[in-house]
Amino acid sequence: MLNTQLVEAGKRQRGRLLINGVIPFLVLVGFSLSPFVYANQAILFQMMAFMALAQGVNLLYGFTGYLPFGYVGFFGIGAYGMAISIQLLHFPGLLAVVMGGLLSAIIAIIFLPLLRLSGAYFAISSLAAAEVLSNVVSNSAMIHITNGPYGEQLTQSYHPVTSYVAMVIVLVLTTVTVIFIRNMPFGRALMAIREDPVSAAMAGIAVVRSRSIVWLLSALIAGLTGAIFGWHLSVFYPNTVFDLNISILAIVFTLFGGYGTVTGPVLGSIVLYGLYNAIGISDPQYFQLIYGLLIVALVLFLPGGIISLIQRRGNYVP
Amino acid sequence: MKSTAILGMAAVLLSASLAGCGSSPSTAPSAKSIKDITIGTLYAKSGAFATSSMPEYSGLTFWASQINKTGGVYVKALHKKVPVKIVAYNDQSSATTATTLYSQLITVNHVNILVADFGSVLTSVAVPIAQEKKMLLFDQTGTGASFFTPSNPYIVLTSLPTSGLWPTSLAQYLIHKGYSRIAIVYATNDFDQSQDQTLVSKLKAAHITPVYNNGVPTSTSSYSVLLNNMSHTNPQAVIELGYPNNDIAFLQALKASGDHFNMVFTIFPGQLPQLFVSSVGPSSINNTYTYPAPPLLTFSHVNYGLNTAQFDLAFKKATGQSTNFLSIAGYNTGLIIQKTLSTANSLNQLSLRHAVSRFSGSLSTLDGTFKIDSKGAQIGETLPVGKITTNSKGRVSVQFVTSPNS
Repeated sequence: MLNTQLVEAGKRQRGRLLINGVIPFLVLVGFSLSPFVYANQAILFQMMAFMALAQGVNLLYGFTGYLPFGYVGFFGIGAYGMAISIQLLHFPGLLAVVMGGLLSAIIAIIFLPLLRLSGAYFAISSLAAAEVLSNVVSNSAMIHITNGPYGEQLTQSYHPVTSYVAMVIVLVLTTVTVIFIRNMPFGRALMAIREDPVSAAMAGIAVVRSRSIVWLLSALIAGLTGAIFGWHLSVFYPNTVFDLNISILAIVFTLFGGYGTVTGPVLGSIVLYGLYNAIGISDPQYFQLIYGLLIVALVLFLPGGIISLIQRRGNYVP
Repeated sequence: MKSTAILGMAAVLLSASLAGCGSSPSTAPSAKSIKDITIGTLYAKSGAFATSSMPEYSGLTFWASQINKTGGVYVKALHKKVPVKIVAYNDQSSATTATTLYSQLITVNHVNILVADFGSVLTSVAVPIAQEKKMLLFDQTGTGASFFTPSNPYIVLTSLPTSGLWPTSLAQYLIHKGYSRIAIVYATNDFDQSQDQTLVSKLKAAHITPVYNNGVPTSTSSYSVLLNNMSHTNPQAVIELGYPNNDIAFLQALKASGDHFNMVFTIFPGQLPQLFVSSVGPSSINNTYTYPAPPLLTFSHVNYGLNTAQFDLAFKKATGQSTNFLSIAGYNTGLIIQKTLSTANSLNQLSLRHAVSRFSGSLSTLDGTFKIDSKGAQIGETLPVGKITTNSKGRVSVQFVTSPNS
């Protein structure tokens, strides 16, 4: 009897691993082949960027409960870290992207004390931190480093195809990272912290260290995404890469799909970003209405996102 | 395996959402099969640039409707007149959205002509895309100097000189008046800070150092404290360089403060006088200085398209809107496109660019002389300085204090 149960559990475990592995595979194949059937690469690229950002938000909010309204700060710093690496250090594009990600992680270390706050206080303070970063970057005193308000022009390093491939890789790596964290004891520890940090600490979980690791990982994802985004645009101003809408969209995509899962942000990005491009461009007023109603409905009736509809029936969703 | 079904659903949704993004013709139409000339552009119906973008778009659509009434635009490459069709999307003032939409216009809609949205921010993202796709970008009012490089033949600025050149006449006037105590506040963006740099360097060349010169974020909506700080330096002239929202906030704060200076200068009342009359009241812009642009600035010699009076009448009749500089800039873009198509030997984008270079300097429209340098930047149009006078009914007139032809 016990043997049968163990065999069943083993089968279930292998099945789940397989399903988890299918997601990054689908993402890889989907976005690698899409340019051959759809000409507007910019839409595909931005969908990937938002998907990666949504996974970054998911990592932080879904696993620790910290809602980062100022997430765009890391994204913008990543873009500028990349631009500075190209303009001042004359790094090649790919290395500059890595530098952008690292710079975001360094900034995240500086802003680590924000994690002492929680709830709405954290959300607002992260927003303020993003504003600070944006104003520092666009300040005229920084003109020799960031080119201040004049923005960055990297047309000499403009490689739309390479940057597209880099975005696919970062998105797949991000998805794999979320899968690993979700299925590791570390992920379960994070979720315990999210539910009750005091109880988690009493159970021996290193609350501060765990939160800090996720905070840095999340910043690294946003930094890498921002760096590739900036590289792909090649001409951008501070308000292009520090645009608050980027944070809002990433958060909404995560909440819509379902936070704390791997599939949720992927599904949210595909559905809502697809909807945005199908309806939002021609009739933005209707889209905004639909968007608003969707958010209200989600908060009231489906706080776990559309994935929770399936989870409620006892089904496993990666 | 319900989870697999979910993933399958996600894959189907990805395909469906992309399919919903627009139909994609497999090949671009050949010159022979062209039934109309498609002009792809963006406009901002909401957001920070809406007040400037919408009149510009109205001007362009007005030009298209006018030319279609005559049977279309003459295309030399086809030896016939062809109707004009505008394909336009709303970027909502977002540069991120604009990126996908410019790409959509080129790769999915396969437009024949690409026109940028208003201003440097929304134009900036189009510059590398147009260059990479080898598509000539008709830049209406994106005056960022960095857009124009010798290696990029795929851009032409149709209205206004690059922003760094704007303050030439203002500096001349300040020096001529002998003002030595000058206070400047500018918004920290490409457009305004480049003007500040030019102005300060020209003043310093005349041995005048501004008593106050500070940058503020473009999002600044209250200038009360800044005005207080400026007034403590006892300036004779106060110069505020910003976008329309900054100028409105500054003039409102000035009115509320009761401060008085010999000279107050802002940029946009000269371009959008009616907006300022309705936003801050006629008395707030009375006796202030600005760069008067068409229709406040009229040109007697117009050899292409409608003149200012004719445009004013026809535009009001067709759209019900009053004329401002940006509607003229949009119409002017249409005229430049019209001239390009009527002189280019083929519809190849580089051929269009060569055609623009050929007629550069010989075209005088209601917006002034169209002349570009080798990089595609506008050098024909100038911006004089004028003093605004308003009456109680809100009618705005301008007295030029520097020569409109300088």
